[in-house]
Amino acid sequence: MKIKLEKLEVQTRGDKELIDITPEVERVVAESGVRNGVVNILTTHTSSGIIVTEGLPCLELDVLNHLEALAPDEGDYYHNRYLDIDGRLGFNAGAHLKSIIGGINAFFPIEDSQIVKGSRQCIYFAEYDGPLCRTYCVQVMGE
Amino acid sequence: MIDFHTHPLLVREMLEREPDLARIARDVFYIRNNPQPLETFLLELDVSGLDRAVLLPIDASTTRGCQIYSNELIAELCQMSDRFVGFASVDPHQETAVDDLERAVKDLGLRGLKLSSPTQEFYPNDAELVYPIYEKAQGLSIPIVFHAGLSWEPRAKAKYGQPIHLEDVAYDFPNLNIVIAHFGWPWVLEAVMLALKYPNVYIDTSCLYFDNPKDFIAFVMTQQVPLSAIEKSLRHKIVFGSNYPRVEIKNMVKAVKSLGLSDGCLKLIFEGNARKLLGEVIR
Repeated sequence: MKIKLEKLEVQTRGDKELIDITPEVERVVAESGVRNGVVNILTTHTSSGIIVTEGLPCLELDVLNHLEALAPDEGDYYHNRYLDIDGRLGFNAGAHLKSIIGGINAFFPIEDSQIVKGSRQCIYFAEYDGPLCRTYCVQVMGE
Repeated sequence: MIDFHTHPLLVREMLEREPDLARIARDVFYIRNNPQPLETFLLELDVSGLDRAVLLPIDASTTRGCQIYSNELIAELCQMSDRFVGFASVDPHQETAVDDLERAVKDLGLRGLKLSSPTQEFYPNDAELVYPIYEKAQGLSIPIVFHAGLSWEPRAKAKYGQPIHLEDVAYDFPNLNIVIAHFGWPWVLEAVMLALKYPNVYIDTSCLYFDNPKDFIAFVMTQQVPLSAIEKSLRHKIVFGSNYPRVEIKNMVKAVKSLGLSDGCLKLIFEGNARKLLGEVIR
């Protein structure tokens, strides 16, 4: 069985945004040589996410607005305190909660070297506390 | 619009070149976030609606055995983006401090001085130790940003940063503009007292010690000091500062803008007063 892992950086440019990473995931799958298997996508941060939805700008806004309604930035959070592990205050609980609600990973089967997904499905890196240079992992496993 | 208080400690390009900076950031300055490309800093300014940022080093050669950024590295960063305004730092315990400052301004093009008395362990009104530096700064017509109040650095004691020590400086150097950083927190009223009385004393907004930026800034600028005092008496004496990367610039901008100050007052805080301190405008 082949296992290939790529750690990819993405420079987010806004406070909150969804960035379509589908082409990057497809590239990693194509270069892996795996014909049949699976691909996993994972963000390595707790204030960002991986989301799969239809690739439309209106939906991107709706997703971010809905997550903001569920986990507002300015909530009354216990996380609003000094964190000596960081040397700064941790007042981004809203971003952490959005990450939990929206999810941090996605999985797709691979068949005949192609990702098996619906024609409308896009894979997004979700930034909830940008702009930052972020890292996500794409791991391909199979034969 | 200008952020008058940032520390470029997590700029990845510089950390890759100067590996000891990572240790200094982590163990001396005590900021432990992951490094970021320079582009992130500039994007943070964009997202915040700001044009420029003042970059502050701290020369702690004597007390910590290191420079929390050297003047040369600050000057290099300023070469990498015209959105940066570089300040110098000198070590008051070093005999070369006065010459170092002159060189930083005249040769490196730096436009102000940063001193952090809790880090550098001196009292700002120690005339024998630091007055020659102030005389040089006054002669060079550059402002000094003083750390004031609480410091998160583990070894930095707040006693060196009590704003009242700056009264002697303001009084003895009437042509030297000084900025009391972090609103002098928790000695906010001392800082305000000095800014009210002395024409050469300013305050920056870079304070966040509990809760979140919006609530903490509201606590300081509406409860510890009435908002009307900011609007009417201190509008020409406050500059916006974030203390990035301890706080994201975007969050501090949002906090200050949410207070309910007039547009004219906000324009002074975010731009006019800073430009005056930098000698870009007369008033």
